[in-house]
Amino acid sequence: MKKRDYYLTAISLILLIGFIFYADNNMDAYMVRILNLCAIYTILGLSMNLINGFTGLFSLGHAGFMSVGAYVTAILTLSVNAKVQNFFLKPIAAPLSNVVWPFFPALLLGGALTALVGFLIGAPALRLKGDYLAIATLGFAEIIRVIFTNTQTITNGALGLKGIPAYTNLWWSFGIAIFTIVTMILLINSSYGRAFKAIREDEIAAESMGIDLFKHKVLSFTIGAFFAGIGGGLLGNLLGTIDPLMFRFTLTFNILLIIVLGGIGSITGTVISAFVVTIAQEALRFLDQSINLGFVVIPGVAGMRMVVFSILLMLVVLFYRHGLMGTNEFSWDKFLNVISMKKPLLKGGRK
Amino acid sequence: MEILRSDNITMQFGGLTAVKDFNLTLNKGEIVALIGPNGAGKTTAFNMITGVYKPTNGKIYYKGSEITHMAPYQITKLGIARTFQNIRLFKDLSVLENVLIANHLHIKSNVFEALLRLPKYKNEDRKMMRKSLELLEIVGLADEKHEKSSSLPYGKQRRLEIARALATSPELLLLDEPAAGMNPTESEDLTKFIRQIRDDFNLTIFMIEHHMQVVMGISERIYVFDYGITIAHGSPKEIQNNQRVIEAYLGVDENA
Ligand SMILES: Nc1ncnc2c1ncn2[C@@H]1O[C@H](COP(=O)(O)OP(=O)(O)OP(=O)(O)O)[C@@H](O)[C@H]1O
Ligand SMILES: [Mg+2]
Repeated sequence: MKKRDYYLTAISLILLIGFIFYADNNMDAYMVRILNLCAIYTILGLSMNLINGFTGLFSLGHAGFMSVGAYVTAILTLSVNAKVQNFFLKPIAAPLSNVVWPFFPALLLGGALTALVGFLIGAPALRLKGDYLAIATLGFAEIIRVIFTNTQTITNGALGLKGIPAYTNLWWSFGIAIFTIVTMILLINSSYGRAFKAIREDEIAAESMGIDLFKHKVLSFTIGAFFAGIGGGLLGNLLGTIDPLMFRFTLTFNILLIIVLGGIGSITGTVISAFVVTIAQEALRFLDQSINLGFVVIPGVAGMRMVVFSILLMLVVLFYRHGLMGTNEFSWDKFLNVISMKKPLLKGGRK
Repeated sequence: MEILRSDNITMQFGGLTAVKDFNLTLNKGEIVALIGPNGAGKTTAFNMITGVYKPTNGKIYYKGSEITHMAPYQITKLGIARTFQNIRLFKDLSVLENVLIANHLHIKSNVFEALLRLPKYKNEDRKMMRKSLELLEIVGLADEKHEKSSSLPYGKQRRLEIARALATSPELLLLDEPAAGMNPTESEDLTKFIRQIRDDFNLTIFMIEHHMQVVMGISERIYVFDYGITIAHGSPKEIQNNQRVIEAYLGVDENA
């Protein structure tokens, strides 16, 4: 990186910190919540993009991963009292009833256990290719949900968990989002990241170049699961309540939407798209309510927003497959060129 | 000294026997060619040696140890690299990335060391970069290193595939029709180039080729396939005068 780029990055970070500080103190709870969601969806989008976009694995198990992270973090951070109140059908299993951890270690363990689950699912599933992998991961996510619905003394079953401490704030969500972005940049630009991309491009050629396909797929899958678990944990402790129904396929679909719109295989695209989609989903909330056009009243249809987003997804897939960014990434050079409307440099920086 | 040997390797696809009882011996430092009409089973033989297909029958030995049931990546790690008949570059990636990727197999740093950019990884990464740039220099693609590999003209894509194969540090290099689509001058250059890399990198080369000019000019020994059967084996001179080879190529009906 050039010296100039270091300065620009440092300045942007300071501006971001200033903004978080301002938002934390001055914005209303609703706005803060949306910003938190933007950051969390950035984390989730990046973790899914690592698996689907950079490694080219068609995986649809994200909601399953998130649920593991969310439940682990929630159970570990719930107060003893809240646990008693939640588990009124059957008391919570013995060692868990008295365990109350601080947020960060709980989140980390949530991520680590999700990574373990990712590894265990990946080991058999990643022997499958393409559509079969999609079906298998989808099935695994559903199995996790069914398990959580039936482990009454651990997860409180279908009743879900309420009163999860609202530890997630802008510092946590944006802090971890930045950590995730940095990790992804370092990973993708390392030899391992190149191996992932090689697998995406051509498995036969990649294997012929000595890349152990299975090992690298499991690696990517496990790292992706880790961050999905962290994202799930942040989400649970933001919303305050979780239940198994939250983690249906729709949730995976939302994240898929983000990475497809942003550009499969672009970190920058995912970040932008996570913000745009999250904000748009709030802004388009009116679509679910009845709309009064003065002369005619369109009755509200719950889920209308999702219809709009699904159509958008279809249009992108049909006509604009590269999404917002394709596989391009942000760089200060390009950014400065765009804002000063100079002619872009040729590849390699030649004029 | 023998580097590769196959004992009666056979490949059947359902009822079709693509290769039957192929006995191959390659000695260190040799350039050997495999020729034969279209569909004779040449690429299939390559795919068996590199582990892409598991032979239905027979065994393959590389430097004395059996590799018949190894996965392609393991075989490449042992030192056998290849190019593909219908070019298989990492299309969306840059020329340089294509070559860098082929260095990955020998990496010693684990993913955490790579993520944290520890000195061990940085060192390895620097070496990979240096080696890749050198290889691009050798195949004459240094100026195009940041181009998308699929944007290169056909001939350069073939050379990039060779550079990529060399980046795995092979001892045995398999080239599947390297001169395909080249004009006589280009084939002439290629012939020189193959000899040069054989000498510079201490390689053994086993190549499939249709251009007889290239084959006869470069190979020390030639194997000839027809319908999966090895119909001849010998020096270029012997092959040129072999009646069965002439018939196979001219399509003379054996019963006539
Ligand atoms: N995976 C496969 N499944 C079924 N049949 C196959 C497969 N691979 C090759 N074959 C068949 O095996 C035979 C030999 O094919 P191969 O590609 O080895 O020929 P080749 O000698 O390389 O020909 P060419 O000069 O056209 O490249 C052909 O009849 C081909 O259709
Ligand atoms: Mg062939």
